Amino acid sequence: MKTLISLIKIDFKLILREFVVVFFSLAFSVLMILMFGGIYGNEPSPFFGGFGSVDVLVPSYLGVILSVNGIMSLPLTLVEYRDKKILKRFMATPMKSNNIIISQLIVNFVLTIIGFLLLLIIGKFVFDLKFYGNIFIFILAFIISTLSIFSIGFLIASLVKNIRSANAIANIIYFPMIFLSGATFPIENFPKFMLNIAKALPLTYIVDLFKRIWLNSDLSWVKSNLSLKIDFIVLIVILIICFAISVFKFRWYYD
Amino acid sequence: MKVIEVNNLIKNYGKIKAVDGVSFDVNEGEIFGMVGPNGAGKTTTIECIEGLRKPDEGIINVLNLNPSTDREKFYEKVGVQLQETNYQDKIKVYEICELFASLYKKPLNYTDLLKRFGLYDFKNGFVMKLSGGQKQKLSIILALISNPEIIFLDEITTGLDPKARRDMWKIVKELKDEGKTIFLTTHYMEEAEFLCDRVAIIDKGKIVELDTPEKLIEKSGIEDMISFETKDINIEELKKVKGVNEVSFKNGEVTIYGRGEDLLKEVVDYLYLNRIYFKNLKTKKPNLEDTFLKFTGREYVEVKDENLN
Repeated sequence: MKTLISLIKIDFKLILREFVVVFFSLAFSVLMILMFGGIYGNEPSPFFGGFGSVDVLVPSYLGVILSVNGIMSLPLTLVEYRDKKILKRFMATPMKSNNIIISQLIVNFVLTIIGFLLLLIIGKFVFDLKFYGNIFIFILAFIISTLSIFSIGFLIASLVKNIRSANAIANIIYFPMIFLSGATFPIENFPKFMLNIAKALPLTYIVDLFKRIWLNSDLSWVKSNLSLKIDFIVLIVILIICFAISVFKFRWYYD
Repeated sequence: MKVIEVNNLIKNYGKIKAVDGVSFDVNEGEIFGMVGPNGAGKTTTIECIEGLRKPDEGIINVLNLNPSTDREKFYEKVGVQLQETNYQDKIKVYEICELFASLYKKPLNYTDLLKRFGLYDFKNGFVMKLSGGQKQKLSIILALISNPEIIFLDEITTGLDPKARRDMWKIVKELKDEGKTIFLTTHYMEEAEFLCDRVAIIDKGKIVELDTPEKLIEKSGIEDMISFETKDINIEELKKVKGVNEVSFKNGEVTIYGRGEDLLKEVVDYLYLNRIYFKNLKTKKPNLEDTFLKFTGREYVEVKDENLN
């Protein structure tokens, strides 16, 4: 336990020194909400089915924060640790190796929550953000989404051998995903063609799920044909598949 | 007392026999070295003993523990420096020390270790900013934090400049003086000769010879060489000098091969007594590198270090 706590302490210091992760966890969403909120305000709008733009965008931005930690930070750290033989060096100590993974999960999870709280505070005090849904269902959805997106991160860490390819892959997945899934730009005005692309992205289901629960609405103004049930099923299937492959494919070091 | 026992260690990678039936013991308090060219099986052997690779066959016993099954006890008692470990890009020197100290039951005070190895002034700096020699010192500090009985050093001086290499040699000798047992691998023959109490020469996954460096040289049967320049000399008379086996005279240079502790004295006495003029006297004792050639029938090709050229 003492070991795990020191590991978490160091890993947390290290994650705060990663510019991209810190920017997209703590700053990006806040800036976006200030921008969109500043332009459109948080008054009920027919474009967002009668909800205020900030009320609709805050749950979406949680997806941005979650994915930078799950898809960028988590796999890149693990691949870096393996590439530099840090994982191997840790194997040559009395520490249980799972601690390294547990610590990474906790650190990325905590940073996600801090980013989200920051967003909530700004939303609440600047734009009078409102929550319409059931808090427990939202927490459940948040946990399942976190596990699902983190499992994608693990899959990347398990399949990619060196830090360069990991960087490329994480960037190729992350950036298109945050822009095409509705996490940053409202999916509301996506044409049919773009909606189909969005449906190939895991983050789309997370954003859709968060919005449905947050607004307690069927999102009838978004022509995406998704539902609470579909979102949950897709995320759980992703979680199971990615986790299963990772368990077999993950290596602490290569001989 | 034997602290490491290795019996018939075998490790294959596909069809390649990386380690092919290696057996040896390491005694308490000695510096035991494994030398050989790259790909000879040194790292595979040391990493099997360190519990980081699973042998295909063979028994490894370290301090009466099995490295692969008694992990927690084992790693409290041994310190490991891996070949080519780097650390996190943005970790500071004191942070990594603190982290490693937290992994052990009774860690040494890392501040003392940093002071001892001259890294105390860098403790708030990033590890990635350290020089190659300083990074290796840090690796040794991390290996020492648990106050281990045995230290494994895998190619500790590869890529270091000559000064850093000498520093490292001094550190290794000091660790031995403190009573630690040291198991090291190196592809520098002169390093093994200088540091090790006993040396195993490994080639193509097999131990070719194992003994003290002096004995290895003696066993190889390679003779001392003395050469000097002179104008005229009676070769037949010179051959009668005690210890001399072979003499050649070419282009004004005499080359003598022979054995015995007094060889040089006998030769110089002879030249002096017979008033033979000589200059540029040189002697060359055989070294481990010559022995490698003798034992394996191959020239010892050292890997060129980028940092040295």
